[in-house]
Amino acid sequence: MLGVRLSLVLGAIACLAASTLSGFAQERPRQRSPAPPDAKLSFVGLENNAKVPSKLTVRFAVSGMEVVPAGTVRRNSGHHHLLIDSDLPALNQPIPSDFNHLHFGSGQTETEISLPPGRHSLQLLFADQDHVPHDPPVMSEKIFVEVADAPEEKARSAAAPGARVFFRDLQDGATIPTRAIIRFGVEGIALVPAGTKSENGGHHHLLVDTELPALDREIPSDFNHIHFGRGQTETELSLPPGEHTLQLLFGDHEHVPHDPPIMSPRIKVRVVAGPVDGTRAVIAPPPVEKPAGRTPAPNDAAVYFVYPRNGETIYPNSTIRFGLRNMGVAPAGVVKPNTGHHHLLIDVPTPPLDAAIPADLNHIHLGGGQTERRITLPPGKHTLQLILGDDQHIPHDPPVVSERIEVIVATRIKKPGRRR
Amino acid sequence: MRIAPLLGLSAPCLAALLLAVPVVAQTAQRKPAPRNAVVYFHYPLDGLRVPERFTVRMGLKEMGVAPAGIDRPLTGHHHLLIDVDAPPSDQPIPSDYNHIHLGNGQTEVVVTLPKGPHTLQLLLGDSTHTPHNPPVISKKITVYVR
Repeated sequence: MLGVRLSLVLGAIACLAASTLSGFAQERPRQRSPAPPDAKLSFVGLENNAKVPSKLTVRFAVSGMEVVPAGTVRRNSGHHHLLIDSDLPALNQPIPSDFNHLHFGSGQTETEISLPPGRHSLQLLFADQDHVPHDPPVMSEKIFVEVADAPEEKARSAAAPGARVFFRDLQDGATIPTRAIIRFGVEGIALVPAGTKSENGGHHHLLVDTELPALDREIPSDFNHIHFGRGQTETELSLPPGEHTLQLLFGDHEHVPHDPPIMSPRIKVRVVAGPVDGTRAVIAPPPVEKPAGRTPAPNDAAVYFVYPRNGETIYPNSTIRFGLRNMGVAPAGVVKPNTGHHHLLIDVPTPPLDAAIPADLNHIHLGGGQTERRITLPPGKHTLQLILGDDQHIPHDPPVVSERIEVIVATRIKKPGRRR
Repeated sequence: MRIAPLLGLSAPCLAALLLAVPVVAQTAQRKPAPRNAVVYFHYPLDGLRVPERFTVRMGLKEMGVAPAGIDRPLTGHHHLLIDVDAPPSDQPIPSDYNHIHLGNGQTEVVVTLPKGPHTLQLLLGDSTHTPHNPPVISKKITVYVR
């Protein structure tokens, strides 16, 4: 859900950006590559006025021409662009690159998109090595799709047999103070932040004084259903004195319980005001094992930007390159001393350093061990920051964080930038 | 110019010879690499003059870095080849002073070289130090140590 909302907001920004961008770009008509008159572009298995889920895979087909990566100069070939909710751009200009004009510059022929509920238009437009449409333009019909308002029943993620969640150091009938630290454990399934799709993973939800919610849809988010979307394994809970019930329920990347649901038994606790003799040790014993997992890092380890540098002007489509000193790179999930994986933070403050780094459009996880990433930004000022995360996406101790640099995104750069 | 003294290079060569039969047998399964994967130098660049002690920084496109021994698709670890030609790509990369393994997933390494021209080349190896198919290898560059 968060992802959809975010993409909406970003989409709106991108729209604005695109309108300013086209203001710039409309000066010099570009040379257009010829296309055979019988070339055709179409959607595969997607009809006009189709009802679609909010997250859908769109496949493209082209006939009479060939798909090649952007930048490859070859006759009768090009790459796909998907226009979402937008009219045809100027045909003698490079197609803008934003959330409404998706480029498939590696020669992809399918993509997964997220659309908010409502009616949306989709259109395919083929373009040459410089992203300029051909002459005559090779494009598909503009089709409309309908995204249902109410989220339909979601497919539930399968749970691994034997997976379980449990309260640590907290038994049924325990007495706890009004402010208590509740710790939870998980076994047989990985702890991944909300929004990160994972074969066998999910995050905790703590149900306070409530029955189990419906198991075939998103767990509600309110004072009785506390989400731990960053993969936290403990929380400080304030409860009024009296009897209360607590229960843990694991949810997948979309907050939907697994099938079968992974949950703890519902336990009763008695909350008393004031200090509770002897129970503090029961509630919050000194953590014996890895305390919520901060992995040590060498003191001289550093992460930095190879490109761009602070204050530099970059193109809207730029490859950000990362450097790492005195440590190694390992994919997410790999436990190895003195390694971690990069996270690129765009236009956000430094997140809390003792919890898993959030995963969304502003916090890009490079979980495959990548050391560079191509991103698209609307023109203007942006901040970039790098944080190394351990196998669980949690920053190291001490954290390996770059300075937050500021870059200016512009479509024209006076002195030629270093682009490869 | 060979920096490795006699021992450094001849021992692995011998080992490679002795191991030739089993090595060839296990080479059937080289890990695939995407065609557009590229390994390249951030620093130094071809023809650059460098001090005796300098940091080599490497970049990798369309793939990820993983320490040696970690078997994940589309990953590998860097090897810096100094003053040698690329080894055969169907066998594990030798380990000596001319073939520096960055087995913990490092993306930079400090090297010290005697004065004069030297060649540098990058070669990605998989979890077993064997180059991918096709091999992900950089251009061989020359630097001048002053």
